[in-house]
Amino acid sequence: MDSYNKFLAENVLTEDKVITYRVLSQALRVHVNTAKQMLYEFHRNQNAKRPGAVHATYLVYGTKKATNPPSESQDGADGDIEMSSSAMEVDSLSEVVPESVLSLVPEEQLKDTLADYEEVTSIHVYSIAPHPTKDMALLVDAANQVLTLTTSEDVKNTVPITNPWVRRRERQGAALRAAAAAAVVKPQAKPAFSNVKEESKPTQHVQEAASKPSTSGPTKKPAPSSKRGGNSGIMQAFSKAATKPTKIKKEAEATTPSGEDSSMQPLSDDGEDDEELPQPKPRAGSGFKTKRQREEDLRRMMEEDDEEEEAQEKEETPEEEPMEEEEPPAPEPVKEEEAEVVTASTDGRRRGKRRIMRKKQIMDDQGYLVTIQEPGWESFSEDEAPPPTKPKITSAAPSQAAKPKKAGPKGQGNIMAFFSKK
Amino acid sequence: MVTLDEIAGTGLLQKPSDTPTASLERPESNYKSLGNFSLPNDRQYKQQFADIYFLRLTKIRPAVEEVATVAWQDTILGGETATKVDRVLDVRQGQLCWVVGTVYMEMPLKPSVLEDVSKDRWISAPITTDHYYDGVGAESIMLEDDSGRVPLVGSVLKDYFLVTGCIIAVMGTENSDGQFEVIDLKFADLPPQPDRWSLSKAPKRPKVKDEDVEMADSSRPQPSKKIAIVSGLEFSGTDTSYAMELNLLLEFLLGEALDPAAQAELSQISRLIIAGNSIAKPSEHDPATDKKVLKKYGYDSSSYNPLPSQLLDTFLSSLLPTLPITLLPGAQDPANVSYPQQPIHPAIFPNARTYTATPGASEQPGWFDSVTNPWEGEVEGWRVLGTGGQNLDDICKYVDSEDRLGMMEAMCRWRCSAPTAPDTLWSYPFQDDEPFVMKDCPHLYFVGCQPEFGTKIIESPQGQMVRLVLIPSFAATKEIVLIDTETLDVSKVKITA
Repeated sequence: MDSYNKFLAENVLTEDKVITYRVLSQALRVHVNTAKQMLYEFHRNQNAKRPGAVHATYLVYGTKKATNPPSESQDGADGDIEMSSSAMEVDSLSEVVPESVLSLVPEEQLKDTLADYEEVTSIHVYSIAPHPTKDMALLVDAANQVLTLTTSEDVKNTVPITNPWVRRRERQGAALRAAAAAAVVKPQAKPAFSNVKEESKPTQHVQEAASKPSTSGPTKKPAPSSKRGGNSGIMQAFSKAATKPTKIKKEAEATTPSGEDSSMQPLSDDGEDDEELPQPKPRAGSGFKTKRQREEDLRRMMEEDDEEEEAQEKEETPEEEPMEEEEPPAPEPVKEEEAEVVTASTDGRRRGKRRIMRKKQIMDDQGYLVTIQEPGWESFSEDEAPPPTKPKITSAAPSQAAKPKKAGPKGQGNIMAFFSKK
Repeated sequence: MVTLDEIAGTGLLQKPSDTPTASLERPESNYKSLGNFSLPNDRQYKQQFADIYFLRLTKIRPAVEEVATVAWQDTILGGETATKVDRVLDVRQGQLCWVVGTVYMEMPLKPSVLEDVSKDRWISAPITTDHYYDGVGAESIMLEDDSGRVPLVGSVLKDYFLVTGCIIAVMGTENSDGQFEVIDLKFADLPPQPDRWSLSKAPKRPKVKDEDVEMADSSRPQPSKKIAIVSGLEFSGTDTSYAMELNLLLEFLLGEALDPAAQAELSQISRLIIAGNSIAKPSEHDPATDKKVLKKYGYDSSSYNPLPSQLLDTFLSSLLPTLPITLLPGAQDPANVSYPQQPIHPAIFPNARTYTATPGASEQPGWFDSVTNPWEGEVEGWRVLGTGGQNLDDICKYVDSEDRLGMMEAMCRWRCSAPTAPDTLWSYPFQDDEPFVMKDCPHLYFVGCQPEFGTKIIESPQGQMVRLVLIPSFAATKEIVLIDTETLDVSKVKITA
């Protein structure tokens, strides 16, 4: 119980801070009303020891004496004019209504301020500071410290008023998104759970209220969906990848930007996840054989250069990346029905990415202009739910991802090498 | 007069005690949003605005005719009986008659689209002149319907507020100049008023609430609920002169300030309505807006200050855990300019939006309800109509008067919440419906962002009573308004720091 004395002494006397009752309440996890008394007691004790050691501001609430010029005789604390009289007035004057005044005053002016009050319903210490408070606006920063301290838990013990009726939106989209992103790393919907729990903590009634109107509570929903979105997706991806081992994957670099602009993986900002991002399998609709062949040719042709360039390659790769946008590795055929990754579908609204084919003209290594169809990803968000497509998130096996990664830059690097050699 | 000695050592001015503090709970807010003013998603702007006037005239004409018929049925002046004329063009010279039509005010300073077009001037923002009248009486009043127009003259016109777009009936004769000399003038008066709890179910309560008006201090088992209305919070990225007051407002509404007795009182506030202008106007001398920077991708982080909306979001999300909020856009808010303003998109509030209603079909209004301006709803059974203030501000430009309550009353009696739309108040070109016509008389009509507070009750012969409230702008006056949901009594709280 006496910890507040220590806290206040440290912060106010030693560190020269302004402490408001809300900050104290948050820091010590005590009820705001107790915090107000603590401030008062600390202020009294300190000033008893050494007058002027700490300075307080007071919050005064009550009714003031009528000082308004257009005041009529009957405007007192509860001077409500009879309606009939105001209605009969020709000039539609406003009624006089009871007015309460909430003022924040430094202790130096407290006496004068109180003299203006007809009746004070409530008064307490708002803040204490080592110096007299001249400008109330400076208190804003002190008051705003609360925002950094506030956590969703334990609020119930410190605030005087709660609302049992509060209800929040079930954030299916967010939960699913978070879960999906998390499930790629860990096939466990744990983050989603804790997320939901945290959201619904402020009052215990929230969960009741939230689960009442809806058919399924927020704690239930994300789990199955995340499993579907993340878990099985991965498994499918692996099985698919196993059956088609010769497929060349698109580089992670190519997919990452498109993933970002659709804000699909909000959690993938840190580098770890990027490796395991859902990776699309690039496939082209037509020209399957020729493209493959040409690529094989290209690789074989460039194979000999590899040994010499391996040392260079690491330096080259970064500057190669912009080029990649111009000439991505030759795409592979695609099946139409796998062309979508739905990241979130909240009642009637689907968001995700869709595979589209873009035509692109490039100069190939032999100097010909070639038009290729390049698979690209386009984020979409549409209203009606089409026949349920499987949310398909493909993920590259590390070994496979590594291989094309090398092959891609090499193909590019070799073009440059080709020219430079000549 | 309160002295320090009286209060020292009492309440919270004493040693911290171990007595557990009682936890207070807010009552449920019975709330329904009507959505009369929401526009379709596929908005067309190709239509003509004239349809609004025709729709309004068609809707209000029967009521005006009814009032006029009762008043003038057997009026005999100079041996001539007043007869009803259906169309403005049918008025004959020298004949005593009465006719219903839409008022059109021709004013020298009023912006005119014809003038703009003829001068090849294409404006992109509403002109903000202080007033349209010029003070020398150069304006002329006309009455029009779908057939034509007739200028109105007569001293009786000066006794009433008249603005473009209101529907009136006039009685008189046409003089030799082709002007209609008005002898008397009638409005539709207040529309029929629905009973309390006409849309939502009344909570079970043993008490009969017949003595609504007089029960001010009679034996109530518990204090009745209140709604708080505030406008003009004007969260600003640069001006911090009233930041402390905003902070105190937050603590006041949260109920964290004050002592247990006052907190018990505050816990009865069951809803907060924010009536416009939550975000401050960007200041004129903002250094960022001075220099013209070539914009790339439409977003320039050096000239865009996201702080105001962040502050508003913080304010809202701090209150929302204990207090449901209805948010109306105002003239300065990030919503469309033209009336009716559509809700501020919740995406602006990353924290507060988790309290909004689920998009799509949800019959329950959101805990945080971003609504249109004007907005109509039912709060605690009372029909409430509220606006962000543009409708009233625009009427004030027509009339050389500061009687804003009188103009609010006039709007109710005209049965039109935005008569000057689409003439001087920008508006969506409605085709099939004219939502500004008051079909139902509200019990509470508030207008936000006003220079000062004001309230009164108006009545009509049929017994409707409307509580009119002018909500002052918080940034200027530091006042918020509390309305008792049983008696519709108004009180206000002033915050000084």
